[in-house]
Amino acid sequence: MAYTNEKLHVVFGDGTLGLQGPNFHYLFSYERGGLESLVVNDREWLYRTPIPTFWRATTDNDHGSGFSVKSAQWFAADQFTTCQQVSVTVDGQQLPELPVAPVNNRYSNQEFADEVALTFTFATNTVPSTPVTMTYTVKPSGQITINAHYTGHTDLPELPTFGVRFTMPTTATGFDYTGLSGETYPDRLAGGVPGTYHVDGMPVTPYLVPQECGMHMQTKQVTVHRNTTQNNADQVAKPMALTFTQVDQPFAFSCLPYTAIELESATHLEELPLARRTVLGIFGAVRGVGGIDSWGTDVEAQYHIPADKDIDLSFTIDVPEN
Amino acid sequence: MQAALNWLDDPEVFRVNQLPAHSDHHFYQTTTELKQQQSSLVQSLNGTWRFNFAKTPAKRPIDFYQPDFDATDFDTIQVPGHIELAGYGQINYINTLYPWDGQIYRRPPYTLNSDSLVDGLFSDADDNTVGSYLKDFDLPDSFQNKRTIIQFQGVEEALYVWLNGHFVGYAEDSFTPSEFDLTPYLQAGTNHLAVRVYNRSTAAFIEDQDMFRFSGIFRDVNLLALPAAHVDDLDIRPVVTNNYQSGVLNVSAKLSGDATDSATIKLTVTDANGQTLATQTQAGQENVTFDTLHFDQVALWSPKQPTLYHLTIETLAADGQLLEIVPYEFGFRSVELRDDKVIYVNNERLVINGVNRHEWNAKTGRAITMADMQADIQTMLDNNINADRTCHYPDQLPWYTLCDEAGIYLMAENNLESHGSWQKMGAIEPSYNVPGDNPHWLAAVIDRARSNYEWFKNHVSIIFWSLGNESYAGEDIAKMQEFYKEHDDSRLVHYEGVVHTPELKDRISDVESRMYEKPDQIAAYLDDHPAKPFLNCEYMHDMGNSLGGMSSYNDLIDRYPMYQGGFIWDFIDQALWVHDSITDQDVLRYGGDFDDRHSDYEFSGDGLMFADRTPKPAMQEVKYYYGLH
Repeated sequence: MAYTNEKLHVVFGDGTLGLQGPNFHYLFSYERGGLESLVVNDREWLYRTPIPTFWRATTDNDHGSGFSVKSAQWFAADQFTTCQQVSVTVDGQQLPELPVAPVNNRYSNQEFADEVALTFTFATNTVPSTPVTMTYTVKPSGQITINAHYTGHTDLPELPTFGVRFTMPTTATGFDYTGLSGETYPDRLAGGVPGTYHVDGMPVTPYLVPQECGMHMQTKQVTVHRNTTQNNADQVAKPMALTFTQVDQPFAFSCLPYTAIELESATHLEELPLARRTVLGIFGAVRGVGGIDSWGTDVEAQYHIPADKDIDLSFTIDVPEN
Repeated sequence: MQAALNWLDDPEVFRVNQLPAHSDHHFYQTTTELKQQQSSLVQSLNGTWRFNFAKTPAKRPIDFYQPDFDATDFDTIQVPGHIELAGYGQINYINTLYPWDGQIYRRPPYTLNSDSLVDGLFSDADDNTVGSYLKDFDLPDSFQNKRTIIQFQGVEEALYVWLNGHFVGYAEDSFTPSEFDLTPYLQAGTNHLAVRVYNRSTAAFIEDQDMFRFSGIFRDVNLLALPAAHVDDLDIRPVVTNNYQSGVLNVSAKLSGDATDSATIKLTVTDANGQTLATQTQAGQENVTFDTLHFDQVALWSPKQPTLYHLTIETLAADGQLLEIVPYEFGFRSVELRDDKVIYVNNERLVINGVNRHEWNAKTGRAITMADMQADIQTMLDNNINADRTCHYPDQLPWYTLCDEAGIYLMAENNLESHGSWQKMGAIEPSYNVPGDNPHWLAAVIDRARSNYEWFKNHVSIIFWSLGNESYAGEDIAKMQEFYKEHDDSRLVHYEGVVHTPELKDRISDVESRMYEKPDQIAAYLDDHPAKPFLNCEYMHDMGNSLGGMSSYNDLIDRYPMYQGGFIWDFIDQALWVHDSITDQDVLRYGGDFDDRHSDYEFSGDGLMFADRTPKPAMQEVKYYYGLH
């Protein structure tokens, strides 16, 4: 299909919504609760749908202060939070109901739009539960703006983190970012030098016991590089890249081969599974690591993430040129 | 004299026939040797020794030191090294509790109203492994007709020495050199040296450092040949005068040897460029005191500009022949605790940007190399670290010289830690604390203070003596401070544990030292008529992914002149390389990974560097904040 009208091609499927442009093809799954497929230049960037993330692998200081025990609900929320509701908005008009059969029988393969937005509403697996929304707004260029919103609740424990987790099908060869040098946290970033940095691979900081690591605060942009896919018909390695850019505020990110819960489960580095995915976390709130002691003293108060305040996170995913 | 096994059980027996502690100077026979830093008067005994491991004292080969002992079934072991890392004996990491907790019931002798020793407390104990070492050596020609000394620079935890079947001596204090005179027992041809090392003695109660627990000969062993007139001890006392412009130098030496009284002793002082500033000769005698030397202009030693001066002591025979030449690098710097209760070094307020440093190598444990030490110095310099606390024992001899040269302040700590005797699951419970006020434990701890002082007294980098770590406080520790105050007015004395016994604060520690104190509590102390300047002997516990919140400590530096900084805990993770058969990789392992119980697991991973000496990500934060002051 020739995309000469500079509009998004919208495919109203029965389980998915397809959005297409000259070199991209996105699938949003109503069942999976999010963006199931992000294909750019015929190559897939997603292993599973992006989800809101709340947990960080317990640091030694978290362990010592009992933070992980106090905030353990967020461990479950990170693993088991489910999508409750999906809404679709086309050119500013929210559709009254999900456009699946028979509602979508009125569409054709020639549906176009200037902007399509999907909002997925999650209910955290906490007691009480609180809503988290993820909204994807897609432009004809293929640019996706993601807004994640956490709804504050006074009866919940402090959060370990809040962000969006992308799992990519194969390992990254490296990443480039514009932000601070080194691994930084809200209470440990004064030594970070602003600049643009390249990191080879996805280094897991070799703390004796695997734990939260690899965070990069105050990031304007990060580009992840991969060169392999899982597609049996596309087995020739060649470079590809995807770029995540701040909207209003810098974000924090980590790019690791493991989820927080995988890190959490290992007592030594060698117990971690073989690296085979890329786990990119884009974070709107990061808790400090603390440092006064490792047996009880909490992180300084200004570096906590209170549960009763809303948190917003916005960033874009930009499709590179052909 | 015969060796007695029950010395292991007696806190009042800790050195038998040991030579007195003395300064750490090198000595050479010729100026050529000095230039090449290769003394013909030193012969290393490092290398392969024959070895037998016994799980208990009862199983040791009793007569192994006899010249006719058949040692054909002995193994071999590398010296220096830890017995456990050679594959004998279980590796164990434990923090505060004594390593025998829950395995053997023990209390320190003379505590809990007991007035006697406990038979077999260590000498007949199931947990006291024994290493029996044998080494044959031939003396080189350069040793002929000279007194021969053997120097063990570090042995954990108690050693007995025999030569050619004769008992030579006994020593405790694992981290301090032990020297014995072998001269009476030498024979022509091959000499048979036998060394028995016990994992535990009563010293274990005061060597309860938070670290992997090892045993064995883990530092260098040397034979030393003493010339006919030899400088046993050198005392260099540079004093800064005249508004930090000038210097006064007092040098004295203790000599020994048959030719002492007929010798001439020549002192030469040169500056960093090799320009001679002063020379002086004195007649040889047991105690030589040179006339005071005055220098109108001196360049002071500081971390920013670690200027060193150089001196040599030449010992000349009656016929003018050079018997020995001793070099030493020294520096001028002043340490003052003024009426404003602020510590000044060279008239500038002291700000300690420090670290606590255990000696560590992930392959060889505490048996570290010169390359390891040099790498550590470079890491400190690269990251604006200006001070090191030698936690919690004296380090290898070269470390102090490296710190002089690099400009790293030292807090030189004694080998003393007894937290297992008073700190129980985080609670303070000193019912059987040692040394406490206990007269039976006093001599041992004073000896440790004396050794630390005598070996390192000439190092300009040392600005604090530290009495030890986490040993509570009582009369014995007060008397350690008295020892330092009697011997040294050029440095301050530090001890943290007196926070638990404030009634002794007038007698222990020149500084208010705390560990892991919160910034607001430090401010509260400094806002409330503080009696002493404040420093953190340990802070910013860098376990795993940590070191957040350093700005709150940095702010205190600007707010309070009496806040003098601190030493981060700590410099390098303690973990060990092990080959993992599952992944077929070399991996770093920690406490509990050797089936060792009780253990404190990963609690030894608190370094600014990983155990393989690569910096943790937090290092850039240290470099930033330590670069501000």
